[in-house]
Amino acid sequence: MSTNCPYPHGTRRTFLSRLGTGLSGIALSSMIAEDALAAARRDPMEPREPHHKPMAKSVIWLFMEGGPSHIDLFDPKPKLNELDGQPMPASFGKPITAMGTAGNTLMGSPRKWKQHGQSGLWVSDWYPNIAEHVDDIAVLRSCWANGLNHVGSVCQMNTGDILAGRPALGAWLTYGLGSANRNLPTFVILTDDKEVLGGPKNWSAGFLPASFQGTQFRNGDSPILHLKSPQGVTAERQRSKLDFLKELNERWNADKQDDSDLDARVASYELAYKMQATAPEAVDLTKETAATKALYGLEDEATSVFGANCLLARRLVERGVRFVELYCGSGSGWDAHANIEANHGKWCKASDKPIAGLLTDLKQRGMLEDTLVVWGGEFGRTPFNEKGNGRDHNPWGFTMWFAGGGVKGGRTVGTTDEIGLRAVDRPAHVHDVHASILHLMGLDHVKLTYLHNGRAERPTIVGGDPVRELWA
Amino acid sequence: MRNVRVASMSVLALGAASVLVWASDGAKPFSAAQKTWWAFQKLVKPAAPAVKNTAWVKTPVDAFLLAKMEDRGVKPNPRADKATLIRRAYLVLTGMPPAPEQVQAFLADDSPKAFERVVDELLASPHYGERWARHWLDLARYADSEGFKADETRPNVWRYRDYVIRAFNEDKPYNRFVEEQLAGDELYPKNADALAATGFNRHFPDESNAANIMLRRQELLNDITDTTGAVFMGLTFGCARCHDHKYDPILHKDYYRLQAFFANVKIDDQLSLEEEGRVADYREKERSYLAATAEVRAEIAKLLEPAYQKRYEERLSRFPEEIQAVITMKAEERTPFQWQMFHKAKPQVTFTDAEVAGLLKGDERTRYKELTAELAKFDATKPEPPALAQGMVDAASPAPQTHVLSGGAYNSPKDEVQPGFLTILDEKPAEIAPVANPSSTGRRAALARWLTREDNPLTSRVMANRIWHYQFGRGIAGTPSDFGMMGERPVNKELLDYLAARFVELGWSVKKLNREIMLSSAWQQSAEWREDAGGEDPANKLTWRYPRHRLEGEAIRDSILSVAGALNGKMYGPGVFPALPPGMVTRGGWKVQEDEAEANRRSVYIFVRRNTRYPMLQAFDMPDTHESCARRNITVSPTQALELLNSDVVMGWAKQLSQRVRNDAGLDERGQVERAWKLVYQRPPSEAETASALAFLKKHGDVAGDSEAVFTDFCHALINSNEFVYVN
Repeated sequence: MSTNCPYPHGTRRTFLSRLGTGLSGIALSSMIAEDALAAARRDPMEPREPHHKPMAKSVIWLFMEGGPSHIDLFDPKPKLNELDGQPMPASFGKPITAMGTAGNTLMGSPRKWKQHGQSGLWVSDWYPNIAEHVDDIAVLRSCWANGLNHVGSVCQMNTGDILAGRPALGAWLTYGLGSANRNLPTFVILTDDKEVLGGPKNWSAGFLPASFQGTQFRNGDSPILHLKSPQGVTAERQRSKLDFLKELNERWNADKQDDSDLDARVASYELAYKMQATAPEAVDLTKETAATKALYGLEDEATSVFGANCLLARRLVERGVRFVELYCGSGSGWDAHANIEANHGKWCKASDKPIAGLLTDLKQRGMLEDTLVVWGGEFGRTPFNEKGNGRDHNPWGFTMWFAGGGVKGGRTVGTTDEIGLRAVDRPAHVHDVHASILHLMGLDHVKLTYLHNGRAERPTIVGGDPVRELWA
Repeated sequence: MRNVRVASMSVLALGAASVLVWASDGAKPFSAAQKTWWAFQKLVKPAAPAVKNTAWVKTPVDAFLLAKMEDRGVKPNPRADKATLIRRAYLVLTGMPPAPEQVQAFLADDSPKAFERVVDELLASPHYGERWARHWLDLARYADSEGFKADETRPNVWRYRDYVIRAFNEDKPYNRFVEEQLAGDELYPKNADALAATGFNRHFPDESNAANIMLRRQELLNDITDTTGAVFMGLTFGCARCHDHKYDPILHKDYYRLQAFFANVKIDDQLSLEEEGRVADYREKERSYLAATAEVRAEIAKLLEPAYQKRYEERLSRFPEEIQAVITMKAEERTPFQWQMFHKAKPQVTFTDAEVAGLLKGDERTRYKELTAELAKFDATKPEPPALAQGMVDAASPAPQTHVLSGGAYNSPKDEVQPGFLTILDEKPAEIAPVANPSSTGRRAALARWLTREDNPLTSRVMANRIWHYQFGRGIAGTPSDFGMMGERPVNKELLDYLAARFVELGWSVKKLNREIMLSSAWQQSAEWREDAGGEDPANKLTWRYPRHRLEGEAIRDSILSVAGALNGKMYGPGVFPALPPGMVTRGGWKVQEDEAEANRRSVYIFVRRNTRYPMLQAFDMPDTHESCARRNITVSPTQALELLNSDVVMGWAKQLSQRVRNDAGLDERGQVERAWKLVYQRPPSEAETASALAFLKKHGDVAGDSEAVFTDFCHALINSNEFVYVN
């Protein structure tokens, strides 16, 4: 059962009978329970009970791809400004960087910083609208990751490993919880610009069954591949053909009742047919009011693309989609090796109003309580300059923030060193971030396992510890 | 000292017959369970057990199965009807159903040898190699691209795919097949097939512009180690990368002992597959081309020199200092490890003229264009380069040291290790003998020879089980790449041992073993459920029936092409790019062929881009190519339904099928229905089925319009149906 094949032709009994293999002293119970369940469950999307009472029902992950500069947005560093133009003191520890820039001089942040809200959280002038929501936001300043380059790091932020091949967090969530709306995919990816670096590997089901993989929505009214009937085929014609197919299948299946996959295939066609009707409605933004559209910045060219995706994310979450991942600057937009002013200026503008609009909208609809909003990139940026006015990749210390879904806003958790190079206090690895998100969704990252190649694999591999300071 | 004493005491205690079962560093014995674990025991061909129902026993395979059934009081299923049987044989061996005429001939053949003849015909069909190569390509994590961000094309890696197809069609003995893939360059350096075979270890996903190449090298070695362990030994070596395997007798150091066989490998993407005469001829022509163009090339080189230097220095500066030193130091000063770094870094500081020319401006740019135009005039005299393959060979220098890595981290080396096998089977370092290729260390050849020893307890068991798995849709041991304690134990160990021993006896012939399996009563049983047997053994562990299973995406696609009469049977060559669905984007390129017939080649020839697998195949659980896959998922999802139901491509094939049926059968609707049934299901429709089909054709006219659309939809429904996509 390890390699693949979660729903083999065997029954629950087959699985339990395997227990007699003479293994001793291994904490197998939870693992066996999970896998036996998976095996017994012929329908992979059937809703499942969480491990504990969840605080969030859905996740909206705002992925600033390319790596936003934490030291120019949420993590002010007066000391860095003091040392502007000087070489980095050796005490900070010279890292190997993607572009070999660690010998370059430090570059202060030219941003204007202010404290906001009742909590007085610091946000720079690049994010004026989001700044108004700080009392709902918990800022985690001490994130760190392993990758140096984009593909590995985007991959790790999604799957936990810098090497492709593991299931994405959204796939784990789907595996753990099943679907809350069978007419829509449970794990949806939205992009606003180019292809995400590494592409579908980032929402892959890895070694989990393919049903759990993310679905990338395309722009327009046909968000899923082959959602529309073939050219010239009307709904009646499709229905009539499907009825005949059903008849063929049911006749053939009749004396094969031992094999529920055959019926599952019949059901999958009915589901596909329903999806054809449901999905276009879910992505149809025309029904939204002018006020709502304005809230997300749909009228302004600079904010309309990401704004539309934010609005779409809300509509999907409203309809039971569990995990929506929206890339801002997809294809490494935030990657400001040179001229960070222009680069971040553009992407901050593109995302500020839409994200603020999303938070406002979720809150006024009462959805923020059980929708977890996550903001961050695959890493942050270096305190030393690159090419005079840009910054290199920084996986050693960077910021992510969380709102809604049980998170206590108006607080910062963890710190980086005085120049923002490395996480110092309460470092939070990507695995810790994943464990936190799973926890808020009612899943224990250690109990959520899948037997693969002889190992009870889990989303956090061998690490992970929830950052309880975000909600406790 | 203490360790040595303990070890020698243990030998005394266990007696001379015991194998070496002590971990010398920790002085920790393997557990009793590990020492007696079935997969590590000597392979002895068991005698076929006695059974009561001797009439059922056609081959020893049947005796092994029947003995267990009789123990439990379970009777096997009767033979499947002939139409089902020939369809099953075609799908299993070629991945496509038979034509109605082939079914007819088989039905008409009353001789007891009739089925045997079908099997022999199919084993001789070139489609057999295409079908069975696909299984092996899953194991080899085959892809035509690098993966990671850029996902660049590997332009000649398809030579490996063609090699595998040929190997199955030629029935290359499996021991030779293993040798060629692990060490073809060392053992048979003048043999083109053997060189192409080394592509096996070239299929790791790779990042062409990795900054930390020390880490990258370690990752590649890990990939090769894990894959070798899984594919040839059926063991999950990966678990021993950081510590002793938690369950199986694979020590932490065993991981690095296995890895040490590969410590000196480097990528070679210029493996010449041509005979020496052809290569000499090419060199000769190349020399005259170079002489004729010497002047213009020299001027281009001079013009580009500063730009080259700039690109070079810029790229060089991105590397950490120790790697920069490796690149710039004198060749004779490099240590073996530095040579490894050099081989991996060099492509990153090597540029083509075109890459560099982008930096030119103004007059220089104009001059460059003039010069390249001048150079292009000689294109006609430029010889066609010889056929190349992409594979792995030894670096010319001695092998770098291999260390046990603490926590698997490349920068935490512990004790040095020498190439060696599993300690539980052979504690000593491997003996490395000189090989045919004198510049190679011979390490991989030593591994290949050990694996293919007839008394290796793993190799033949693992492959015999794989063959059973592909024949029945599941193995005797259900986890074909995990024969360890966390894998599924074989449901019939005697049968597996018999098949493994028989496999070696048959000269490691995959075809012959396939044939023996298919001529058994067990394989020819019907797939029908019986309450009496199913009540006792619902999971069919006894194989009292043939396990019905869904076809893979490739076989579904190929079968549709075949019944529609649309298949382009052309074999071999570079990967093909059928059109992607509208709206799908891909990085790295997907250039659809102008020749539309290319889109209808068999699925095994579709280009495998790691980050953009062909969506129809991906939807049906094609493995993701980032690691070896021994057993595919079989999922059921609405995405699959949308793919087969709404894709214009599939609809087009339905239309072709419809035209084919109507051409064959003429105007009579009854005849049309019967012809369609025979093409798609290899059987005539029942009276009830005909009636239901005719009723649909009549009713569907109201919503579908003309008769062509109606009949296309009818055919479309048939190729979407369960009966079509299942091996029954």
